[in-house]
Amino acid sequence: MTRPWLSIRVQIALGAVFVAAAIPKILDPPAFAHMIYNYRLVPGGLVNALALVMPWIELLAGLALVLGVWRREAALVAGALLVVFLGAIGWNLLRGHGIDCGCFDVRSAGKSRDEQLADMRWVLLRDVGLLVLAGQVLAATSPRAAISSRLSRG
Amino acid sequence: MVRASNVGRVVALLVLAGAGAAISNFAASSDRKLAWVGSYPRALQVEPAGSPAMAEAAPPALQRKQPPVQAPATPATSSASSSAVGSPATPPAAPPAVPPAADTAGLARAFPPHPDKPAVEIAPADVERLYRGKALFLDARRSSVYAEGHIAGARSLPVWESDIDARVKGLYEEGLDQKAPIVVYCSGGTCEDSHMLAEKLYMVGFDNVLIYKDGFPDWQKRALPSSKGANP
Repeated sequence: MTRPWLSIRVQIALGAVFVAAAIPKILDPPAFAHMIYNYRLVPGGLVNALALVMPWIELLAGLALVLGVWRREAALVAGALLVVFLGAIGWNLLRGHGIDCGCFDVRSAGKSRDEQLADMRWVLLRDVGLLVLAGQVLAATSPRAAISSRLSRG
Repeated sequence: MVRASNVGRVVALLVLAGAGAAISNFAASSDRKLAWVGSYPRALQVEPAGSPAMAEAAPPALQRKQPPVQAPATPATSSASSSAVGSPATPPAAPPAVPPAADTAGLARAFPPHPDKPAVEIAPADVERLYRGKALFLDARRSSVYAEGHIAGARSLPVWESDIDARVKGLYEEGLDQKAPIVVYCSGGTCEDSHMLAEKLYMVGFDNVLIYKDGFPDWQKRALPSSKGANP
């Protein structure tokens, strides 16, 4: 589970996903603000600040994972973001409010409410998978894993 | 287990993210800039499926606490006269010419003001009548989308771009008749941009904002006059 050959691939894959998700949001903050607004979970005064800062958090966490810098902290941040995304999408699914995820594309997809709700279920599954990846990186970078690795080398 | 060093690095990452956001927003073009604090009164409201986005009465956050200061009352006539009366010490940039209203009295009777609510949705047939009567049309979509095609003569007030409040203020300072009908539109369907723009206009005292709910796609379907580019 925490073998180096697996961990490095997982962290690069997770990092690449976060970088890919961040770029369109950084390039078009007003569109991403509109996406956040559509979730109807963020107070009006915070929508814009979140739209500006969150993509940069995603980008830096993703880059850190890809480059192998501050891996544990980057995985913590990525995991926290994923928990927030799961909560936001899950809550909207529960209350039947269809939205475009805005995860990788900030343009409106022009889908019907039922199509949006179906997409949201897939997004939930995907984000659970990504959370598992973040968990793997956290496990691989834990102090116990580091000790175990040193012992096995020594 | 999370250690202090981990927390420190997470905080550093968040601070760097904030700095990155500030720099990128500063460097962004005007249509990609975002104000750090927006105003979205309905940000926590979820409309039931199928219900109109605009409530019958203005929600508490939108109720005007005091009557707005009436801008110099000039009818929507030529731009030369509207800019000469009550012009401010530092005159704003000359707005696009507003064509003379051909049927002001008729439109005023058919579409009376509604100061109790931000806007009223109107049917496409009414939109055409207002267009022929030379009412002011405002496009709430992004400026890039506006440039790709808009109702001919409509002005762009992109509600999601950072200078929207300045543009609304500029419109107010033109001294237009705040009881004359103004038509706002966006992309139709579930698009709420027109409603958001209507609320901003209502807050500065425009009492007769009408929403063309089906928006520009419906206008195009009816083969009515449209233009491209950044100007009306």
